[in-house]
Amino acid sequence: MTTEPLLSVSGLTKHFPVKRGIVFQSAVGTVRAVDGLSFDVAPGETLALVGESGCGKSTTGRLVLRLIEATQGTIRFAGRDVRGLSRSALRDLRRDMQIIFQDPYASLNPRLTVGETLAEPLRLHGIASGAALRRRIDELLGEVGLSAWHALRYPHEFSGGQRQRIGIARALASQPKLIVCDEPVSALDVSIQAQVINLMQDLKRKFGLSYIFIAHDLAVVRHISDRVAVMYLGKIVELAPKRSLFARPRHPYTQALLSAVPVPDPTAQRARIRLAGDVPSPLNPPNGCRFHTRCAYAQDRCRSEEPLLRPLQDGAGAEGQVVACHFAESIVPPILVPENDPPYARRLAALRKLSAAA
Amino acid sequence: MTDTALPLQSQADQRAIAAIRRKNAVWRRILRDPPAAIAALFLVVLVGAAILAPWIAPFDPYASNMRLRLCPIGGARCPDFLLGADNQGRDMLSRILFGLRATLGIGIIAVVVGGGLGALIGLSAAYFRRLDQPLMRLVDVLLSFPSILFGLAIAAVMGTGLFSLVVALSIASVPSIARIARGAAQSIMQQEYMEAGRAVGLGDGALIWRYLALNCWPTILIYMTLQLGQAILLGAALSFLGLGAQPPTAELGSMAADGRKFLSIAPHVSTLPCAAIFLVVLAFNVLGDALRDALDPKLRQ
Repeated sequence: MTTEPLLSVSGLTKHFPVKRGIVFQSAVGTVRAVDGLSFDVAPGETLALVGESGCGKSTTGRLVLRLIEATQGTIRFAGRDVRGLSRSALRDLRRDMQIIFQDPYASLNPRLTVGETLAEPLRLHGIASGAALRRRIDELLGEVGLSAWHALRYPHEFSGGQRQRIGIARALASQPKLIVCDEPVSALDVSIQAQVINLMQDLKRKFGLSYIFIAHDLAVVRHISDRVAVMYLGKIVELAPKRSLFARPRHPYTQALLSAVPVPDPTAQRARIRLAGDVPSPLNPPNGCRFHTRCAYAQDRCRSEEPLLRPLQDGAGAEGQVVACHFAESIVPPILVPENDPPYARRLAALRKLSAAA
Repeated sequence: MTDTALPLQSQADQRAIAAIRRKNAVWRRILRDPPAAIAALFLVVLVGAAILAPWIAPFDPYASNMRLRLCPIGGARCPDFLLGADNQGRDMLSRILFGLRATLGIGIIAVVVGGGLGALIGLSAAYFRRLDQPLMRLVDVLLSFPSILFGLAIAAVMGTGLFSLVVALSIASVPSIARIARGAAQSIMQQEYMEAGRAVGLGDGALIWRYLALNCWPTILIYMTLQLGQAILLGAALSFLGLGAQPPTAELGSMAADGRKFLSIAPHVSTLPCAAIFLVVLAFNVLGDALRDALDPKLRQ
């Protein structure tokens, strides 16, 4: 990465105390939701965070925005130390860094009209007022494919897809540089998903946005992201440019994850890796490599020594690919997803054709 | 953005939406429920009568005429007194109208003041987690005092009278509304839009007012309506015990107390104020239930 990263996170850690007792509480343990994450996001880049539920993806997104306070680590955004910001500086930060939530039914205040919701960031950051405010709201609604008169309506009068567009418009209102997308399409129908994803890509191109795209749908990730970070139990196990990750995943967990993607082609030849058991509890994560309890390649070293994120030796890995596995070089990546014509792109191409004809 | 544009809705559609909104307006939903409609209309009439008492009361409620003492309803001695006369020979109808004015006024002021304070405590406890334990334990302390005892204590400190009655009733309304408000606010705090508001950069004041309070007020309002019945009842009880309104002030509770000595010879002197209290409290309770049904979207058919 030659350019200065927009966001730079290192050693980010969040431990939630588990408390017992009603009046006199005492901590009886900690959930290590996020445990020492480090990653960068370049301007205009989309970094995807993928992983099973409970692996700490959403927590990471909220930590970056300081919606939750981190336990440890540093977050630098456009030269500012996010964790050290005062209250008023934090408000300015939120002008540049926004979030789109997963559930469009829960993320809009039901008592405010759409116009009032969109006016909040504009007024707060002193971007517009009076007639300019109305114009800007109309413009924002147009930007996400809604009409100006929608501003007078309440969230419950919209469908899920429309509400998610309102959520996107709210995030765009203050013209941020980075938007954290917390599973923005997983609560939507597949056809609506494609529309919202297209919208997000158009907006990215138009405004030069960076996204942190949190998802568990790998087809969506493959479509939208530039780089992908795979998380397991609060740690990144593999971080690589999209192409290399999907073509040659080097971490056994990434391989298992990719092999679970359904391929709509019954004749496709591919390996299936089945993981036994559940994700261990983050209350008491395994020693050594956190994945060793479910890894087919696990050896004694994995049980005692924790692997660090590292590039592969002898230039075996792709440029910018880092893996947290002791034996990444010796594990042969299986053929997982057919190279040409990934299913999601086909779905999107069909949709584009349809809407162009209409 | 050709591939994401939505079908435009016509003006007719917009008119239809406006019509649906009007049809589902809260007061229309209340009027569709017969008992609630009756209670609401009854209360409108009563409140109107209470407000207009000085103008519509046929006689002066304090002018006594000993010759008409304890005149029964429809008695030959007092053909002009529709509801008879009390032990001082005063017109019962006028006294009930003025009594209603006092009783309703005391109840409403107490619930608005006490409820407002309680709502503030409840919302603060839910929003500022640090304040939760201290505030709610304070509310527990308030709740553990019987309300009558409260009235006695305040009357002892401040002397008897309408003002100390209002103070006692206000304080008595605080804890239960604080609890209800805290419960409602806590469930709102869990909603993603609270986090969205913080992500926008809104401050505590805007979040409490535009996000918490705006989403909690139906619950709080419903409870305040129900609490109003309780406050009226308690106010009447304290006046009955001689701790509230002092004679000759027309107040339903003290009127019931005054009349009880003549229960065997002139039952109307005591039972009419009691019936008025009963009907008012019943109407507020029915209306409170109907408000809950109308304002809670989950119960909407």
